[in-house]
Amino acid sequence: MSLRIMLKILRRHALMPSLIVLQVALACAILCNVLFLVWQRVQPMVAPSGLAEDELVLVDQIFSRTHTFSATEAHAGQLALAHTPGVRSASSALGLPMISMVMVDYTLKSPSGVTVGVNGYFGEGLVKTLGLQLVEGRDFLPTEYLDFGVTQRSADVAKPTSPEPVIITQSLERQLFNGQSAVGKPLGVTDDPDHGYIVVGVVRHLMRNQLGMATDGRADNTLLAAKRIGDTALLGYAVRIDPAMREAAMRGIRDTIKRQFGAEIGEDAPVRIQTYADARHDALKSERAALWLFAGVTLAVIVVTAVGIMGLTGFWVQRRTRQIGIQRALGARRSQILRYFMTENLLIVGIGVVVGMALAYVANGALMHYYELPHLPWNYLPIGAAAVLLLGQLAVLAPARRAAEVPPVVATRAV
Amino acid sequence: MRYNLMLAWHGLTRFPRSTVLAVLTVAMGLAATMTTLALLHQLTADPLPGRSSHLYLAWVDTVRAKPQQNQSLNDITVANYHRIKLEDARELLRAHRATWQAAMVSVYNEISTNDDVHPHRAHDYLLATTAEFMPLLGVPLRSGRGWSAAEDEAHAPVAVIDATLATKLFGTADAVGRELKIGKGVFRVIGVSAPFAPQPHFYDLAAMTFSGSKRDVAFVPLHALLDAGVDLGSNDGCDEDAPKNQTMFGTEPMHCAALSYWVDLPTRAQADAFRDYLQRYAANQKSLAGYGKTARAELTGVGAWLSRQNVVPDNVRLNAWLAGSFLLLCMANVAGLLAARFLRRGPEIGIRRALGAPRSAIFQQHVFEASLICLLGGVLAWPLTLFGLWTLRLQESGFTDLARLDPVMFGALFVLAMAVGVITGWLPAWRASRVEPGLQVKSA
Repeated sequence: MSLRIMLKILRRHALMPSLIVLQVALACAILCNVLFLVWQRVQPMVAPSGLAEDELVLVDQIFSRTHTFSATEAHAGQLALAHTPGVRSASSALGLPMISMVMVDYTLKSPSGVTVGVNGYFGEGLVKTLGLQLVEGRDFLPTEYLDFGVTQRSADVAKPTSPEPVIITQSLERQLFNGQSAVGKPLGVTDDPDHGYIVVGVVRHLMRNQLGMATDGRADNTLLAAKRIGDTALLGYAVRIDPAMREAAMRGIRDTIKRQFGAEIGEDAPVRIQTYADARHDALKSERAALWLFAGVTLAVIVVTAVGIMGLTGFWVQRRTRQIGIQRALGARRSQILRYFMTENLLIVGIGVVVGMALAYVANGALMHYYELPHLPWNYLPIGAAAVLLLGQLAVLAPARRAAEVPPVVATRAV
Repeated sequence: MRYNLMLAWHGLTRFPRSTVLAVLTVAMGLAATMTTLALLHQLTADPLPGRSSHLYLAWVDTVRAKPQQNQSLNDITVANYHRIKLEDARELLRAHRATWQAAMVSVYNEISTNDDVHPHRAHDYLLATTAEFMPLLGVPLRSGRGWSAAEDEAHAPVAVIDATLATKLFGTADAVGRELKIGKGVFRVIGVSAPFAPQPHFYDLAAMTFSGSKRDVAFVPLHALLDAGVDLGSNDGCDEDAPKNQTMFGTEPMHCAALSYWVDLPTRAQADAFRDYLQRYAANQKSLAGYGKTARAELTGVGAWLSRQNVVPDNVRLNAWLAGSFLLLCMANVAGLLAARFLRRGPEIGIRRALGAPRSAIFQQHVFEASLICLLGGVLAWPLTLFGLWTLRLQESGFTDLARLDPVMFGALFVLAMAVGVITGWLPAWRASRVEPGLQVKSA
């Protein structure tokens, strides 16, 4: 049957199709936006960390209200941890992956003027301790590290005369240097133009600890700075262990921390000693909760829409039983009837999807305006649309089958 | 009308399967919406009803430092809670231009009984403040008294604690006269208050926003607490010429903006006068010259303050929008179900019309039927909403333990259900009332 006739029939009985269009449009708008929100939450979960995940233990929140840890104490802790049985290496660090207690914020600027927001990790020997894969250049030399004290004012810190060495990730290299090798190239920061940096090495991956920003290709926006932890009120350590001796190493780390800092640690701020896997589990808790919520919404939307389409088409078929019978009596095949209802559904859902995509875009615009949400990229619209079209086809299958089963003899009966 | 209602009721029982489906769909949409709205309602409620409309946060910027410029591409914004330095707080207190006024800051600290051998300890928030906090915030006193401005001046080590802390430390709520140890100081309990936990913790958002479990359990004179060596925690910035601070979290109150200064100004005229006074105060700060700052002073009401600090988490609002659009989808779905139902009984409607029922009666009957379905959906949505709120409370994100259904929202559930019924039923009922009597009777 031609499209023109189909449209004519639909226009004659506009109520049913328009209610389907309304449902589909709403479902499409909701699904596109939810899909997008899901992707925002999934990205930090699937981004490669670049770390030796199995071997990493993170110690943080060593914290004293009354006392500032000196560089010597921080270093003594590092040595003691490194000499604990089962530990391969340890680094006193500020800023650690999956730990958002301390975040170091840089706005890097390349010589060509590209600016990128980046998180930094400080600490001695982090390349080795975190198990990073160096793909270009070199690690920091022991002589390159400068003490970094959290309590010092920037005014009190002696300005280094030469540019400060940093190690960046491959993703940053791509963003800042447009695919060219970054090693040996200078970098600047926007808020302190006098302070220069120089890239000495590039690692494959290193996940940032500002997880909310680990989306849209920004998960690896991380740098390592050649800074040794100086005086600070808050200490943290990255510890790399021998996975074969995990139990012993964890016990040893706990004892070492207690021995080194036991006197300083207050009851109200317990030290956290956890494997990377546990830290990751904690850090992604809200992401997981959001995903469950979105999964629930998606499921509910799909069920409600499918049931709606099925119900309405079922009624639609029932109303036209006689006409179907006549068609069958006049020689229409079952497959033709089936195809007719499928095509009709495709048409109606298609209109709904077009309206829905427009609606999704408008809704996202409003959300973006009020809630600092990133822009919904165009490619989410066709994905959502395809999903809804498929849903429509599946939902119409049962009523369309029923229509195809109508025997031609119905045409001869008075209803 | 009674007859139409009766017919509507009959209509419900005629197609039980589609009735159940419609009721379930409406219930799902309503429950999702009400769960998110109940949480939003709790989070946007007035923290101190009747009082917050005339409370203002007074702020003067006297920190001797260059204005911070923030150009992070990582969306990190430096918190600014409009706090002031101790010096300015003292000056404003001395001038006493408002009805009630107090400087305050919530501090997390250890509080213990004054017993060197077996002290009972608590770790919790206490509010370091000045004499007038009680009438200012309306802290309810159970026994004893608050302290006076003279005691503030004298750095008197006294404290008002809440009944829960009293019971925890002393085993009894009657703790007046007992002694507490906070920092290096010994404080005498002079009053016991009822638990005071406005939501959000608007008067010091730096310490906490929403919390079902945490609150200020004790009120202590600011000066005495500083004498006891207790650190005030975070600040909005320090003088550049200040001595180097000792710890990362240390705050030197003379040089760092760490105190929230709240005033009670019952009339608009008083508020305007106070605002002028603040502006003049800021303009007279000679020591700010050379830091590239203009004189800045602000007086912010509670509502404006809360919306400015964006205390309601964005995702709570986002979820409410999501749930609302899901409800719309459910409504469209039910409208379809209803239309199918109503048109199935076309012949009946035709007969009713042929027997003289006006269109309005048909319309009324069907809107009633739709409303009944949605009201049933509302009844079913009630336990579903409670379940939704329970699952919200299971997630520990600070504010979710406030997710409860209060009587207002319980009422709102049924108002919403009714509204949904009328709106959903409108189009199908209208369509049903258009049924041509003649045509239907003929074919029937």
